[in-house]
Amino acid sequence: MMRRTSVLLTSAAVLAAAAACSSSGSSSTKSSAFDPRTCQGGTLYVLNQTDATAHHLDPARIYTSGGGAVTSMIFRALTTRHRVAGEAGNEVVPDLATDTGKPSDGATTWTYHLKDGLKFEDGTPITSKDVKWGVERAFAPELPGGIPYLRDWLVGGADYTGPYKGKELDSIQTPDDKTIVFKLRKPEGDFPYVATATQFAPVPKAKDDGTGYEKHPVASGPYKVQSHEQDKSLVLVRNPYWSRAVDDQRLACPDRVEGTYGLNPAVINQRLSSSAGKDANAITTDTNLSPAELVRINSDAGLKKRAVRGAFGQTIYLAFNTKVKPFDDARVRQAISYAVNRQAVVNAVGGSSLAKPATTFLPDQAAFGYQPYDYFPAGATGNAAKARELLAQAGHAGGLTITLAHRNNDGEQDGPAIATAVQAALKQAGITVNLKAYDEAGYADAIEKPATEPGMFVTSWGADWPTGGPFLAPIFDGRQILKEGGNFNASQLNDPKINAEFDDINKIADPAQARPRWGALDAEIGRQALTVPLFHPIYIRLMGKNVKNAYVEEWRGMYDPAMLSVR
Amino acid sequence: MTSYLLRRLAGTVVLLVVMAALVYVIFYALPSNPAVLVCGKGCGGGQLAAIDHKLGLDQPEYLQFWHFLEGIVMGRDYSSGPDVSHCAAPCLGFSFQNDQPVLSLIAQRLPVSLSLTTGAMVVWLLIGVSAGVLSALREGRFTDRTVTALSVLAFGTPIFVSGMLLLILFCGFLHLLDFPVYVPLTEDPAAWAKNLLLPWFTLAISQAAVYARLTRTGMLEALSEEHIRTFRAYGLRERRIVGRHALRGALTPVISITAYDFGYILVGAMLTETLFGLPGLGQLIVQSSNNVDLPVVAGLTLVAGAAIVVANTVADLLYAVVDRRVVLA
Repeated sequence: MMRRTSVLLTSAAVLAAAAACSSSGSSSTKSSAFDPRTCQGGTLYVLNQTDATAHHLDPARIYTSGGGAVTSMIFRALTTRHRVAGEAGNEVVPDLATDTGKPSDGATTWTYHLKDGLKFEDGTPITSKDVKWGVERAFAPELPGGIPYLRDWLVGGADYTGPYKGKELDSIQTPDDKTIVFKLRKPEGDFPYVATATQFAPVPKAKDDGTGYEKHPVASGPYKVQSHEQDKSLVLVRNPYWSRAVDDQRLACPDRVEGTYGLNPAVINQRLSSSAGKDANAITTDTNLSPAELVRINSDAGLKKRAVRGAFGQTIYLAFNTKVKPFDDARVRQAISYAVNRQAVVNAVGGSSLAKPATTFLPDQAAFGYQPYDYFPAGATGNAAKARELLAQAGHAGGLTITLAHRNNDGEQDGPAIATAVQAALKQAGITVNLKAYDEAGYADAIEKPATEPGMFVTSWGADWPTGGPFLAPIFDGRQILKEGGNFNASQLNDPKINAEFDDINKIADPAQARPRWGALDAEIGRQALTVPLFHPIYIRLMGKNVKNAYVEEWRGMYDPAMLSVR
Repeated sequence: MTSYLLRRLAGTVVLLVVMAALVYVIFYALPSNPAVLVCGKGCGGGQLAAIDHKLGLDQPEYLQFWHFLEGIVMGRDYSSGPDVSHCAAPCLGFSFQNDQPVLSLIAQRLPVSLSLTTGAMVVWLLIGVSAGVLSALREGRFTDRTVTALSVLAFGTPIFVSGMLLLILFCGFLHLLDFPVYVPLTEDPAAWAKNLLLPWFTLAISQAAVYARLTRTGMLEALSEEHIRTFRAYGLRERRIVGRHALRGALTPVISITAYDFGYILVGAMLTETLFGLPGLGQLIVQSSNNVDLPVVAGLTLVAGAAIVVANTVADLLYAVVDRRVVLA
């Protein structure tokens, strides 16, 4: 309650600030058009709640989607996301490599060739051995936190403990300085998407001192690190050995990037709306506008121009643990699906500007293979009659009492706002919902371990890259049930037919062919009512008045600092 | 005096060990597993076990606590990948999340918290004691009522509200100050002070209210004592009576509370540090608690405990200076 009160008060304060500052903010916006040829210069400021490198400035330890925001300005990988606005931003394109990878042996072998003229920040040429070292060191237990796919996908990855004890990973081969070959345990058509991660950035072995590497990481991207104080600040300056001639995916307009971390979200948005002094050149890579802030911004033309909207493939949903009663009964799950009031849920998170009602698990973007379906039509406000009918069939004609678990705050959109909206809707159908709130640290532990997993809880899923595979497999592939923790297959579905379909689609290396299959698989799983999709979030980000060429990229739901200009 | 300090020191060591043990007990009672947070999304099986081993979480709880205490006295070794790095005594352990010695994390942030707390303390003492004295001298009049009303308002306003309002007024609306960014004192003293002005006043506003009430009560009590009446009867000037005799008596409880507040706020200014983005110990304890970073939480608890004990000892020593009736033995 304390936290909610504080959020309301700070939101009110931000609105007042926005009102005070908006006139100056809008009137002094520069009118010169963005031109990539002349956009160089100035300092871009990043105002964040958390360290933009997630504590560690080591490419092995960073968990990113598509290489991340600030991190992809320092580290280049074999491939990267296509840096354009709109749906095309979901495509994977070459970065250090000449193409997105050549599959062979039924997509179990992937071969890459490096471009010419690639250099580290010290002028040393980047070789395939540097990329291999970068991948191998991500297996070291001293450098945890990176993507889990390497261990699962690469032959011998499960038992490999990194290169520091002198053992190489034989499934990564470097026949020459320009070529690198990855041998996978099973077909993985999405390998080019995974190769966007910072674990595929080159690391020179001679400069690697393990956990100390993050103090002086060697840049391959347009900027090198001048200073980094963990959780406090980051200063990037130009890497003299990078140029647009060897990188067609980053404009790198600012001469300098300065990040300040540990800021309060309300203060970040206030600074961006005020846009005073240096803040005119500022962005944030981790702070959304709250519903209260959005109301004010929508009514101010000057501020509205500086609020960038866009989508990111994510679904907020109710998850069922089908191993506990009464959620083992499909009719109960279907009844809840019918009873849910999506309009109330959307209103609870700020309205239709910030959320779009969902009836499919896959996001409604073509890249995921979206196929519309609505097997348990609840309409906008719920179908209580149909829900009661199903409950009666399931032997709960007199009503049902269940518990809904949720986080104790709304920061991740799985908190009390949504839980209470669901509770009210289910009451109409004769279902009494008791709410159980978990604190920040305890929630993930509870819901990600089958032994402690609640019967029903509010959660969300956003994929590491925009295809159907990473969106569906962790949630519905029975072989990904992790008993010891880190489990996302909440329903604990382990259907051999569905598992086999995952394997079949993973053999397809062409995303255009894989998409309809992912969509069909989602539609097939949806019949079992293992989840109740609630909504897909819409992201609105604010920026300083001098910032140009800002758009929310579809891959990550965030604007891309590598494409921004402050001139 | 020496035996007094030695006894305090021995008591402090026992107190700190008990506090550290309590932090460990609370930590193990939590359902969270820090290895999962360190390991990242989708991490399980052998990798999780390897992280558990690296963090020492695969050892029995009592052994983990023993190694923590051992590290303080003997130092500890940690694997950095290719090498083993040594954390010299007094080693409070390595942060699970940041891979840095806890002591170095604390040392990096201590100047920020010291800057914030010291400056705020000066402000709250100046405002609080002055207002308290004024209020006592004008007891029952308009000034007294105004000070009382303002004290209630200031004390009842949460820091995140008063801080945000100051930010809006001075940075967002009047543009008299930039949004605060911490600048080290050694780098640019003027910028250090300018950037800390708002945090100082934010922290000081509610504190000053308490001190005004405390000083007022102390002053009224002191002014009603017999020796003050005697001084007045002898015709001593009122300014001398108030400034030299009454205030001295009134300050005794203020010193005690100041010492406690200083020690507490040094580590506990979480709201102010978070609101103004000051990378101090309060912000660190919030981040560490969210990340279930036991070594940092335990280390900070020890530092906080030590800070409060030291501050209280200083207060006891100052008692003896201010009030000559007090004898330390």
